[in-house]
Amino acid sequence: MRKPTNVVYGVDEAPPSGVVLFSGLQHVGLASIFLVYPVLVAQAAGASAEVAGAVVSMTLIALAIGAILQSIPLGPVGSGYLCPPIASVVYLVPSLMAAKYGGLAAVFGMTLAAGVLELGLARILWRLRALFPTEIAGLVVLLVGIATGIVGLRTASGLSQSAGGVDAIDISIALLTLAIMVALNVWGRGWLRLFCVLIGMGAGYACAWALGRVGASAHVSSDALLALPSLGHLAWRFDAALAIPFAIAAIAASLKVIGNVTTLQKANDADWVRADMGTVGRGVTADGLGSIAAGILGGHGLNTSTAAVGLATATGVQSRRVAWAVAGVLLVLAFVPKLGLIFYNMPLPVAGAALVFSSTFIVINGLEIMTSRLLDARRTLVIGLALVFGLAVEIYPVLLEPLPPAVRMALGTSLVLGTVVGLGLNLLFRIGLRRTASIDVQPEAVDAAALEQFMESHGASWGARRDVIERAKFNLQQSIETLVSSGAISGPLHVQVSFDEFLLDMRVSYDGPPLRLPERRPTNEEIMASEEGERNLAGFMLRRLADRVSVAARGDRSTILFHFDH
Amino acid sequence: MIDLQEESIGEVRVLGVKGRVDSGTAPALGERLNGLIANDAGHLVLDFQGLEYISSAGFRILLLAARRADEARTRLVLCGLSDKVSQLFDLGGFLDLFVITSSRGDAMSSCVR
Repeated sequence: MRKPTNVVYGVDEAPPSGVVLFSGLQHVGLASIFLVYPVLVAQAAGASAEVAGAVVSMTLIALAIGAILQSIPLGPVGSGYLCPPIASVVYLVPSLMAAKYGGLAAVFGMTLAAGVLELGLARILWRLRALFPTEIAGLVVLLVGIATGIVGLRTASGLSQSAGGVDAIDISIALLTLAIMVALNVWGRGWLRLFCVLIGMGAGYACAWALGRVGASAHVSSDALLALPSLGHLAWRFDAALAIPFAIAAIAASLKVIGNVTTLQKANDADWVRADMGTVGRGVTADGLGSIAAGILGGHGLNTSTAAVGLATATGVQSRRVAWAVAGVLLVLAFVPKLGLIFYNMPLPVAGAALVFSSTFIVINGLEIMTSRLLDARRTLVIGLALVFGLAVEIYPVLLEPLPPAVRMALGTSLVLGTVVGLGLNLLFRIGLRRTASIDVQPEAVDAAALEQFMESHGASWGARRDVIERAKFNLQQSIETLVSSGAISGPLHVQVSFDEFLLDMRVSYDGPPLRLPERRPTNEEIMASEEGERNLAGFMLRRLADRVSVAARGDRSTILFHFDH
Repeated sequence: MIDLQEESIGEVRVLGVKGRVDSGTAPALGERLNGLIANDAGHLVLDFQGLEYISSAGFRILLLAARRADEARTRLVLCGLSDKVSQLFDLGGFLDLFVITSSRGDAMSSCVR
């Protein structure tokens, strides 16, 4: 992994304590914008101000847990990147539905269930990777960027508060905040560039204060300096009627993690070629555990923050150590309501400006990820149609009018509809993508050059990667050599190779006993002692060179199947 | 197809191996190695520059040759492995079993040291 030039502190690097602390504050500042979601959900459930405050505090604790889980690669958990979560818009609509029909207990229970579903998705993500190719991950990032920008503009201009027109004072505060962030990011140096968002938010906050736009907290009434969050609101209920909206939320959350972790892989590696699905899967697991924690504690559903990814990219501070500062600040806010008030009372124009600023980097990241692939006709249609449908629903929500209310609610955002269209078209266009070739080999006249040529020519015409073809070539030659030299086979061997973008399968079928593919390497003595030892060495090497192998026998006919991931 | 080119440089015998070492060609390589080791060559370098493919049969022959060289107190050094062949040595667990250098010059230096 080679650090790109625009990264100031790489993911493994240790920035000075001041940078870690202020970067943490900056991330929390950005995350605090989304604390309005748990407040809205609590209000929808008819909860009191105290309960709303407790839901916010528990969300903060879950966010701290999520930030740490995501940053420390620990076994199957954690992408290892600075990718703190937020109270996610993905869970907002289902949570509002749950709050309305089943109260906060249904919100927490279903959030927990969605987290468990995300854990399940993380385990099979690798097998499903054909459904989530790089361009789909890029599309999701782009749609998230667009959705973030739209929410940011609505929030900044005051449109989210009422059906009326734009508030001139609000938009002025927002433009000033945005201008400071942009100016410091473009022309600023050192700390000014690193903390452009925090400085911009501070300036915007001060301006809003001067103009009388900072109100008193509506949901925290405690005057105590330190206060343990109330646990009185804790209850859990599972409701099958809410399963579909929360399942869609879990899938969207997983896709967002794919996009975010892919963006971070790319942002931290100048030689990035394709998404590392192992890291992505661990990221999804951490994300699911974050939502499980939120569900258990009585908070709002979480998801990795694309805005935070945009912030890290914009400032160049990618160190995972910042996650500890983020967690620390979040915990302080959770237990010190008065400090939390600063964030709870964040003027909407300031919050909106920060969202708009972050969205620009997310949009460009999405575009870069998508265009890192050769965009043939299929991919062009997948991306183009998904974007057109996604944007259309934001401009003309009436387009979804004929659909049932529940479906309309689930699909009614550019992020969800665009993603669903993209995933569906990607699946549809996979029809006819798999290509196959075969060759028969006579045991008494094995032509090694012809076997090489077979793999080389088809690999080239399919556009298969060189290293994969080299591995397949060896396994083809070694397996045939071992079978033929054993003298235990009769008749021709049939070789069939099939390829799609993600997998190269090679099947060698013959009349004879199945080939042994031991998992243990034979000892040197065993290899030298007999040809049996040599064959076991061959089997061991064949197993190791393929990503997966299987051997099957039916009557006298045996088949070896080699899978190579592509 | 295998192409074996033998030459002597001082006390060191060098065997250049080109093409493929598989079950069809491994016996010929084994025979040549037996002859070189039996003649008390002192030092033997196997130059694999030009080796395109080596299968389990080839590795078995190399193991047998290494054992005989050890018994005959002949120093056996391998050199010139391409990335592809080196990967196969690694895969089969042979990288640490042999003295391997990147070039023939390094192999010669290793022999006379």
